[in-house]
Amino acid sequence: MNRPVIELIDVRKSFTLPGGEPVPVLDVGHFAVEPGEQVALEGHSGSGKTTLLNVISGIMRPDAGRVMLDGIDLASLPEPGRDRLRAERLGMVFQQFNLLPAFTAAENVLVAMAFASGRPDRRRAEELLESVGLSHRLGHRPSSLSVGEQQRVAVARALANRPRVILADEPTASVDPAHQQQVIDLIQDTCRRHEVGLVVVTHAPEVASQFPRRLRIESFNRAAVIPTGGGA
Amino acid sequence: MSLLGIAWRNIRHRPLTSGLTVFSLALGVALVVATLITGAIVRQAFESGSGLGYNMIVGAKGSPLQLVLNSVYYISRPIENISWELYTEFLPADGRSDARAGRFASSVENAVPICMGDYFRGWRVVGTNAAMFDRLRRGAGEPFRFAAGRNFRDEAFFEGVLGAAVAAETGLGVGDSFAPTHGADDGLEHDPFIVAGVLAATDTPVDRGVFVNMEGFFLQEGHAKPIEDESGEAGPEPAGPVDPSAGPVPLPESRREVTAILVETASLPGLPPELTSMGLRNVINEGRDGQAVLPVAEIRQLLDLFVWPLERLLLLLTVLVVIVSAVGILVSMVGSSLERTRDVAIMRALGARRSHVLLTVLLEGILLAGCGGLAGWLLGHLVVGLIGPWIATNAGVSAGVLSAAPGAELLLVPLLVVLAVAAALLPAVAAYRTDVARWLQGPG
Repeated sequence: MNRPVIELIDVRKSFTLPGGEPVPVLDVGHFAVEPGEQVALEGHSGSGKTTLLNVISGIMRPDAGRVMLDGIDLASLPEPGRDRLRAERLGMVFQQFNLLPAFTAAENVLVAMAFASGRPDRRRAEELLESVGLSHRLGHRPSSLSVGEQQRVAVARALANRPRVILADEPTASVDPAHQQQVIDLIQDTCRRHEVGLVVVTHAPEVASQFPRRLRIESFNRAAVIPTGGGA
Repeated sequence: MSLLGIAWRNIRHRPLTSGLTVFSLALGVALVVATLITGAIVRQAFESGSGLGYNMIVGAKGSPLQLVLNSVYYISRPIENISWELYTEFLPADGRSDARAGRFASSVENAVPICMGDYFRGWRVVGTNAAMFDRLRRGAGEPFRFAAGRNFRDEAFFEGVLGAAVAAETGLGVGDSFAPTHGADDGLEHDPFIVAGVLAATDTPVDRGVFVNMEGFFLQEGHAKPIEDESGEAGPEPAGPVDPSAGPVPLPESRREVTAILVETASLPGLPPELTSMGLRNVINEGRDGQAVLPVAEIRQLLDLFVWPLERLLLLLTVLVVIVSAVGILVSMVGSSLERTRDVAIMRALGARRSHVLLTVLLEGILLAGCGGLAGWLLGHLVVGLIGPWIATNAGVSAGVLSAAPGAELLLVPLLVVLAVAAALLPAVAAYRTDVARWLQGPG
């Protein structure tokens, strides 16, 4: 059996309040994502989903435990090593798309390539954009793209360095309900075609329901704050 | 896409801010370049004047500096004339009408008279004899060379020689004639002289001179010393023929004066030339007929007292202007730091290392400085080209777009890079410290 692309083992992370008191936000015994697997993580505010994504992507270092990304322990690497691993093994899709406004669609994909070890490949950048239906928008800047087109550029950019898994943080939150399904279909289909794992964090049940594996963060994060009133 | 490409794209994304920053820096650099070039030209011109083949100038008593400026650089006004008798004291027996060596002849290798006061289209006309170019040497002992024609002959009263810059500017060549004017460009027009030769460029003030046979010069109206009769009143001008074909009669020695004498002192046995010139200078200066100055000492004093301090002051001011312009880079980059912080957070999330973003911001500053520096460098040369005629008129040195101060201009490159890095350091460090997690934090 293949090793998991993401595996968290006994990971803990706390923040310190101004008074010096530590507040635990993450306490995960075990969590894993298999290669090519598509997982939806649901969580309410305070469940620790942002911290979980930051720890998985290496932006944050856990206080304890191991964060394995494609078999490499992120927690043991210094920051430049984590940055490099994030550039080469992980794709990121943000809620606000977070395209760079100074760059065209093709250049936004090329910029992501600039931080990996290989040389930026314009041909591949154009192929990726073509694969998400943007062959006619290669030279357009984000300000002249529609919301849906910006999301497509973000997906193409996430695939720039042939990652093993894509982390998508609320990818449908900025899209009107009529287009949410298109976004989910795009991300899922693209990941399947490129044989890339997918972890989508969402608070929308209708989105989560379309994933073969659906988890509530509270189910494996022992530090998650359970909201009073039982809302999700 | 390289980090340089990312930095360049960031600059182009803010065309107005970037353009104004580059423009401001370009103005500062243009000022520095123009100052450097002008200073270098003036310095080079004065320094080159110190190696003209003579080491002493004898002229009327008055300001030594004025005598040097007038005789060597053809700027400022002549002090007064000195007597022909004083000039003949420098001549050997065969050069004098009484066939007796002059008092100073034994201390002198060459003595060349010059007479000034006429102009040709703004250029100084210098009356002299053929020894000026036959016997004097220039720079490191090289003889004067002619780009066309030859030196004028002492017996051809109405021949002349043009400096390289004069020939280039006026378009005159061998065989052409030119008529000097008396005292100023709009003064009385004298008889024409024929161009016998055009000097090769020397990069000295000689390039800007119009040299005519002194004998012809003496015969022009207003150039002869008035004869005083017993009543003390001036007599009439000599009625000397001025038609070259008719064979002019030389002006009598009693009516001659010269403006200055360019003296190359002799090396006496066992004594260095410096001692000869010092002794000769003292003897002349103790008399009442004129003064002797050592041009090298005067030029050195001029450079030490005026040119270099002024150049340093100007340079200091212009460097301050560049520093202010560099602060403009800082202001421009800090002004866009909010937008940059978001971009930096995105790039960091995509895998950019802190060193990547630090370098990108520094490159942005260096690119801005580079564009401003290049534009300023070109603008500086253009400014020198535009003010070249003014410099030539007022300082007596020629300057153009291609004039350069290579060493100092090359120093500008590292200076600009250091300034750019210093200006971009603050925003670069801010980018380096960007908290990615905080900037990318979404709800939940």
